[in-house]
Amino acid sequence: MTATLERTTGEGHLDPVTFEVLKNAFTTSVDLMSAQILRTCHSFVIYARDFSCALVDAKGNTVMQGSQDVAVHVGTLHFGAQAILERFRGDIHPGDIFGVNDPYSGGTHFNDVRIVRPIFADGELIAFAMSMGHWSDMGGTVPGSFDVNATEHFGEGFRMVPVKLWDKGEFRQDVAELIVANTRAPASNLGDMRAQAEATGVCEREILRLTHKYGRDTVVNAFEEVQNYVERLTRARIAELPDGEWEAVDYIDYDPAHGEGLVPVKVKMRIQGDQIHYDLSESAPAVASFLNSGFGASFSGVVAGTKTFFPDIPLNSGFYRAITCDLGPEGTVVNAGWPIAVTGFCSGPYEKIMSAIFELWSGLMPERAIACSFNLEYLLIGGRDARTDDGGFFMWYDWMVGGWGGRNGKDGANCTSPLFGVGLAVQPFEGQERLTPVITDRHEIVTDSGGPGRYRGGCGVEKGGTLTQPDKAVMSYCCDRARNVAWGVAGGLPSTPHGVWLNKGADNEKFLGAVFSNVPVSPGDQFTRPSAGGGGYGDPLDRPAEEVVEDIMDGYVSVERAAKDYGVVVIVNDADTDDYSLDAGATEALRSEIRGKRLDWLEEDAQSIADRYKAGELNELDLIRQYGVIVDWGSGELFPKTTQQFRDLMKKRAASFWAAA
Amino acid sequence: MGSLRVAVDVGGTFTDVFVLDEATSETRVGKVPSTPDDPGRAVLQAAKSVDVDLKDVVLFSHGTTVATNALITRRFPTAAMVTTKGFRDVIEIRDGTKEDLWDAYKDVAKPYIRRRDRYEVTERVDYQGKELVPLDEAEARELAARLRKKGVKTIAVCFANSYANGDHEKRMKEILEEELPGVRISTSSEVLPEIFEHDRFNTTVANAVLAPLVGDYVNELSENLKNDGYEGDLLLLHSGGGSMTNRMVQKYAVRLAASGIAAGAIAARHLALEAGFPNAIGLDMGGTSTDIALVYDGDIRVTKEWHVEYGYPICFPSIEVLTIGAGGGSLAWIDAAGSLRNGPQSAGATPGPAAYGTGGTQPTNTDANVVLNRLGTKLAGGKMTLQPDLAREAIHSGVAEPFGMTDEEAALAVVKVANANMADAVRLVSIRRGYDPREFALVAFGGAGALHGAALARELSIPTVLVPPNPGVTSALGCLLVDIRHDMSVMYQKALADASSEEMEEIYQSMERDAAAHLAAEGVSPEQVVLERTAAMRYLGQWRSLTVTLGQGPDPLQDAVGRFHREHEREYSFSEETAPVEIYQLGLRAIGVTPKPTLASGEVVTAEPPAPKEIREVWFEGEDGAGRPTQTPVYERSELLPGVTAHGPAIIDQLDSTTVVPPHTRWEIDKNWNILIHILEVSQ
Repeated sequence: MTATLERTTGEGHLDPVTFEVLKNAFTTSVDLMSAQILRTCHSFVIYARDFSCALVDAKGNTVMQGSQDVAVHVGTLHFGAQAILERFRGDIHPGDIFGVNDPYSGGTHFNDVRIVRPIFADGELIAFAMSMGHWSDMGGTVPGSFDVNATEHFGEGFRMVPVKLWDKGEFRQDVAELIVANTRAPASNLGDMRAQAEATGVCEREILRLTHKYGRDTVVNAFEEVQNYVERLTRARIAELPDGEWEAVDYIDYDPAHGEGLVPVKVKMRIQGDQIHYDLSESAPAVASFLNSGFGASFSGVVAGTKTFFPDIPLNSGFYRAITCDLGPEGTVVNAGWPIAVTGFCSGPYEKIMSAIFELWSGLMPERAIACSFNLEYLLIGGRDARTDDGGFFMWYDWMVGGWGGRNGKDGANCTSPLFGVGLAVQPFEGQERLTPVITDRHEIVTDSGGPGRYRGGCGVEKGGTLTQPDKAVMSYCCDRARNVAWGVAGGLPSTPHGVWLNKGADNEKFLGAVFSNVPVSPGDQFTRPSAGGGGYGDPLDRPAEEVVEDIMDGYVSVERAAKDYGVVVIVNDADTDDYSLDAGATEALRSEIRGKRLDWLEEDAQSIADRYKAGELNELDLIRQYGVIVDWGSGELFPKTTQQFRDLMKKRAASFWAAA
Repeated sequence: MGSLRVAVDVGGTFTDVFVLDEATSETRVGKVPSTPDDPGRAVLQAAKSVDVDLKDVVLFSHGTTVATNALITRRFPTAAMVTTKGFRDVIEIRDGTKEDLWDAYKDVAKPYIRRRDRYEVTERVDYQGKELVPLDEAEARELAARLRKKGVKTIAVCFANSYANGDHEKRMKEILEEELPGVRISTSSEVLPEIFEHDRFNTTVANAVLAPLVGDYVNELSENLKNDGYEGDLLLLHSGGGSMTNRMVQKYAVRLAASGIAAGAIAARHLALEAGFPNAIGLDMGGTSTDIALVYDGDIRVTKEWHVEYGYPICFPSIEVLTIGAGGGSLAWIDAAGSLRNGPQSAGATPGPAAYGTGGTQPTNTDANVVLNRLGTKLAGGKMTLQPDLAREAIHSGVAEPFGMTDEEAALAVVKVANANMADAVRLVSIRRGYDPREFALVAFGGAGALHGAALARELSIPTVLVPPNPGVTSALGCLLVDIRHDMSVMYQKALADASSEEMEEIYQSMERDAAAHLAAEGVSPEQVVLERTAAMRYLGQWRSLTVTLGQGPDPLQDAVGRFHREHEREYSFSEETAPVEIYQLGLRAIGVTPKPTLASGEVVTAEPPAPKEIREVWFEGEDGAGRPTQTPVYERSELLPGVTAHGPAIIDQLDSTTVVPPHTRWEIDKNWNILIHILEVSQ
């Protein structure tokens, strides 16, 4: 499948004032939808801003996307309108409202439900108003509809191919009930269906105000002109860049069907004149977990990754016209066809595509270069709440912020929402504690989590809790990068691995990894997990020692790792008053010692390093940052193939930039 | 006993004063340059500039940007935060989101208190307020010793779930007060006893960092006023649109965070109500930005999501003002794809618009208005001369030439894009909330509001524009009008079916007792006290709530539920009468009514306007959208008496503003000396 859109030509040109007025009015009409859905939604996931809105023209091309939408939906909304056009062409009427969540026709995952309202002016279909929101549950075997072990969609959730929810103004109760009866949250989902439908009505009202004022043809013409405008802007910028071909690969941790070993997501890019061509067809075959992506979501990763290097260009189909993308045949991690499981696309291929594209463009635009960021992660605990008499169903469904990659001239951002979408908000634990039998023990920055570099990666955080009175509860986790740890660039070092710990530090301690589902949990169990920091940018031994001392004062970096990662030796005068002084002589000596040894560390026998980890002589960060060795962080079992791959990547991204000793 | 009421509003450039003599209804206004190094100096100078003897003053009220500026510039004293173990980083983690979604090089600002100054103590209560882990007092005292060593001046105490039980915070405060005499302590259960840790913690942290600065400022100003003979309480305008006395400022400094912004909205409300418009949109347009506020049915919209920097909410009720980067000095420019844009970049005071002749060369809205002959060549009563040639040159090379337009067409295009941007902003605060602009009056003020108001009204189908007598000092008038007001709230999360009226009555009465005590301490006599009960409600399962007022009927709660359905319908164009409703929070608005001034009104005589001071060829847009020069009379505002009425076009000049009255309008001077511009259908 080649996710390209037909270029269409508009008729006639609008005067600059009418154009500017209508362009801004389209933005307003979409943002009005967003503002309303945020205030009327029922799903706490939508409330946390996992939603998007768009105005799409009658041909199914995006005219305007919400200015605060999450990244993961960009480049996908128009596919929803096209699916409806394909299914209902000739049978679309005023008062109709459609629903669709199908990842195999350009959607993302089953929880993302698009509600689509056709807009008519003078009896003619001129546009679609779309509201896409993440419903809290869509059925399937796991609460929240995130079953890591699913390999086909039947276990994942209810698939909604395009359906009419309102037929010429009449609500189709039977269809709506059929849908929500297949989920764990029928009332909430019905509420959101209604709230989303009403939100699209706000967009319709605005567009009709414009057609009334400016005439239908002018507005329809402007739909096209606004896309042409964005296309012109984009092409002008691409044309300024040199022609050429580039390639980057990022990795999913492993494929359960094939044991250990990193799974490649390969992105090739060619710039030719004012066109960008991406080729992802050499990516790995689909994995035997739900970390696969449909074509819509992969295209979104391509668009969102590219857009990050053109932050000021508005997003609509005009932008997509300047990008072609070859995803290759179906059956791969980036182009999973029906019925391959895809719900975990967001933690899997999606962010790998974005990260690979970041790496490509970091070479092309060094002034916007950025190292790897932490991975999107979702922890779900579902079961019965024994605090209440009726033992109702509860769901503790949580995601975290983390560290972003170090940048050229700037440390990475601490505590920021994922690549998936920086508009996605984390939930307050005080709200969670009212609704679920889970007490949050901590929500804090992890010292030393930022990948060391001349510009340090941003810090990740840790959040965990204690289960008080759950009944028949299970825990599932959707993440990645326990093994392919967020990497540094230009000489920078990796950050920290993801993964969930049960009863950490107790006799029954268990490391559950970064993807698992349906692990039973009992009253009194404690769980915690860190989010990774960002990778470092540039050689950490070049970071001015004073900046490392400042980081120590704030507890972003420990005294111990200041020495190991940065070769900086400090003297603690009085920790109570943040009084540290730099031992310049010792620092110089240590830095020179590290310079002399660090290339050899990457060649040391991996098994003996793993053994020293098991024996407690080395810790996790020593393994990752000094030796490039990846093990199961719980058992200490070495992953030889993964380690070899990880070391090769470290040599390419870090060691090759280190000045000779 | 004197009869003067004095209001002083401090802005970035000017400090404005508005004086009303209650005995004679006579008003005086004045403007002095602000003194940012010591803002209180300009406050006293402003009063002196209009010959006020403080001994004659019965009420002195004040709107200040001291708190806002401190938050912007972050000039804070050494501050620390003490929180529950495990939660030191709540204010740095925030909700994780960024304002700029796509620019990976643009970051959210740092928290108000650095990580090294945030400390933890062992304690924990659960969501019901039940103690899980007692406060470790030995640890608390050790921590106090550390804070002393660091020389901390102010401390925020923010514990998990303290909205449900503030005992641990209270005890922590006692310990800190014993160990660190003179240090200011803010606890989150006192500042904002509401659920959601980041909102509560950050509001408390903002209070703590502001407390010394704002507290000292108000102390000193009160003292100076007293020394000069003022015997009453200094009233400070707070973000919520009421005022508070120094006593409350010492405790709730953060409530002044939006003080300076609120005044304009309050003035707009008052002017509109006096002129008979219960619904009004305030448009306060200055040189670089425009503040837009909405009044509906006599009430100003209030928000609880206010911030100076993205990510750091200050969750006190604040008058909802939308500020956009559009003003007289906003630049017109052409983007890479050839589209004509306007703002948010501004020529500011330097280099200023090209017409000022102070070095600016890029076209601004002011330059466009000069080219269109809407602005004369003299500003500020002749103190400043505009240079039309420079304005024309800027418009010519910046816009006309690239688009192949005449200079006047280009100037019209610039103004139209600026107006369209402002119209979009007004839509966001009106249509977005379900308000129909056709039911509103537009109150246009600030230096540039009256230049653009009428065109904006036509764009939005607003039937009437009101330009107050002194557009440039309208905010100071706002300060004069405020009541003492406290907003209180208590979490009460229960489905309507499970709500106990006894429990609720108890909560309301407890809030009412606290409010009465506050107001009494501020010298408000019981007959001046007005208490309004409110409830925040939502449909069961929703995340956001709507706040409605409880009436006086036999079943106030049931009435309130009806009001909730109606508000939901109006705001979101749907309601669900049969769906279960949940109560979220109970609130109390406690108001100490200050006597309202009666502004002078003139005797209305229906009359033709006096002879214009000149006839000028002004460019307006015709029915076909094309611009054409139109013979337009220019009047001096001071010569226009109540009752004067005529059809547009007209230009009305005054010291601090110019009013543009386009064709297809009728204008009049009303009894309160406002200019009312009625927008007529083009065919009329």
